[in-house]
Amino acid sequence: MSLQKILLQFEPKPENLLPALKEIQKENKYINRENCLKVAKYFSLPLAQVYSFASFFDEIKLKKSGKKIIKVCSGGPCMMKNSTEIVRQIELLLKIEAENDAHPKYKLEYISCRGLCDRGPIVMVDEQVFEKVRPEMVDDIILNYL
Amino acid sequence: MQIITKNWDKINPLDISSYIRQRGYEALQKVIRGWTLEQVVAEIKKSGLRGRGGAGFPTGEKWELAAKTKADQKYFICNFDESEPGVYKDRTIAEKNPHQILEGLLIGAYAIGAKRAFICINGHYEKSAEILKIALEQAREKEFSGKGILGSAIDIEVKIFEGAGAYICGEETALLNTIEGKRGEPRLKPPYPPVSGLFGKPTVVNNAETLSNIPYIIKRGAKTFSQIGSSISPGTKLFVLEGAVKNKGIFEAPLGISVQELIFNSIYGGGLTSGKEFWFAQIGGASGRLMPKNKLDQPLIYGNCEYPLSCGSILVVDKSVDIKEMLFSWASFFHRESCGKCVPCREGTYRLWEIAKRLKNNDSKGCDQKNIEDILWTLSNTSFCPFGNFAAIAWGDAIKMFRKEIFN
Repeated sequence: MSLQKILLQFEPKPENLLPALKEIQKENKYINRENCLKVAKYFSLPLAQVYSFASFFDEIKLKKSGKKIIKVCSGGPCMMKNSTEIVRQIELLLKIEAENDAHPKYKLEYISCRGLCDRGPIVMVDEQVFEKVRPEMVDDIILNYL
Repeated sequence: MQIITKNWDKINPLDISSYIRQRGYEALQKVIRGWTLEQVVAEIKKSGLRGRGGAGFPTGEKWELAAKTKADQKYFICNFDESEPGVYKDRTIAEKNPHQILEGLLIGAYAIGAKRAFICINGHYEKSAEILKIALEQAREKEFSGKGILGSAIDIEVKIFEGAGAYICGEETALLNTIEGKRGEPRLKPPYPPVSGLFGKPTVVNNAETLSNIPYIIKRGAKTFSQIGSSISPGTKLFVLEGAVKNKGIFEAPLGISVQELIFNSIYGGGLTSGKEFWFAQIGGASGRLMPKNKLDQPLIYGNCEYPLSCGSILVVDKSVDIKEMLFSWASFFHRESCGKCVPCREGTYRLWEIAKRLKNNDSKGCDQKNIEDILWTLSNTSFCPFGNFAAIAWGDAIKMFRKEIFN
């Protein structure tokens, strides 16, 4: 869908800025400067406000990232269900270090609670969620989804 | 005693008629057809209901303040931005009985004279948002919301606003900023939202669980509600039990119950996981205090107490857990979620996270012990909003209680 078409789904009111940005990201994976400018124009806002708003959220990406991102919940309940061991396994397997950006293809991140504690520990590969992950499942996830 | 979970197994969350069969929307009809705005506010005030999001502010007082403030436009907001680690009660309410939240929201909007209402959902809760959208659509078809509710002259437009997964946006003024298309940073208070909230208009922000109590109070009366649980904070509460406890999950219990009972009574936690020895319990998510064994009999209430109940999660930690892993879990969370508006919190949570990494790798420096104390003091005394204080609570308790284990 073209950017203009996405924007036209939303009335240019402040409360629609976040939903519009999320929708653009869904379509294009990230929001580049050119699209930020178009959003600013559509909502009659300065470009700086669109940038300051969009850059506030970890979930809104303003740059292209070619990396696969593996995320592990660092919350207390997931930790008590052995998420630490899962992180260790992933680090060993991919020869990477959590929260280190050095690897050209992969990044391992801790994430905040997704409210799925009853189904923890939670591991994500990009947007795909894996529930009740046991250390012995790590191999499989990495092999099949990375 | 069940108020919120009562009809969970009888209701199909995707079908409004199953809620109506359980006397759903009766409370809304009652107030729209026969109660004045003042009557509704007075009833909620009399019930003694306090906010279930964490702060425990009296709901009726919030409504009264917004109702009395004169303005051409008012807003009512359901705070569904649940993101405290270890809490998933609001998500569960939406998955089991979404109309309960919606009915409470509509009654609240009516009571303060708001024509527009928002349900603000955590951006990661896509399923909850889907369910609530369907619920809202069905409620509109039945004329419970929208223009001319139940044939009256009352209009309440409800909109669902999905966030983008930032913890701080659960703070009410940060939430308001996000709706306004501004960074989700907290505002200076006062003015409080009931006086000047969304777009500068009087706004009530209530947690989803708080709103789920409203239909019951209207139907059964404030007096009945006020006799449940503790006299200071009446009613029931959804508790989330996680960690080294046999039965994990969500349990509804009257306020005033002790952690001891929640963990060990067979209708709740049913005791510890076999082979585990109790160490401490963390009350209220990552920002909660650590409760040692000899305090387990303290009643959980909203009001003045040593161990604030906050959002109602209880993480049971046993002796096999490494306290340094816990310190890392808290520090990692707060450093990631600090909004960056004020220096004490932005820098403090970052440095604490660095120290936590060192502690975890048994690589701590001699100055760390002293630095932790300085950082914790600064976080709790100089941060702009309560977030900085939250970041220091569990660490402060851990340093006091387990100094030996941490710095061996």
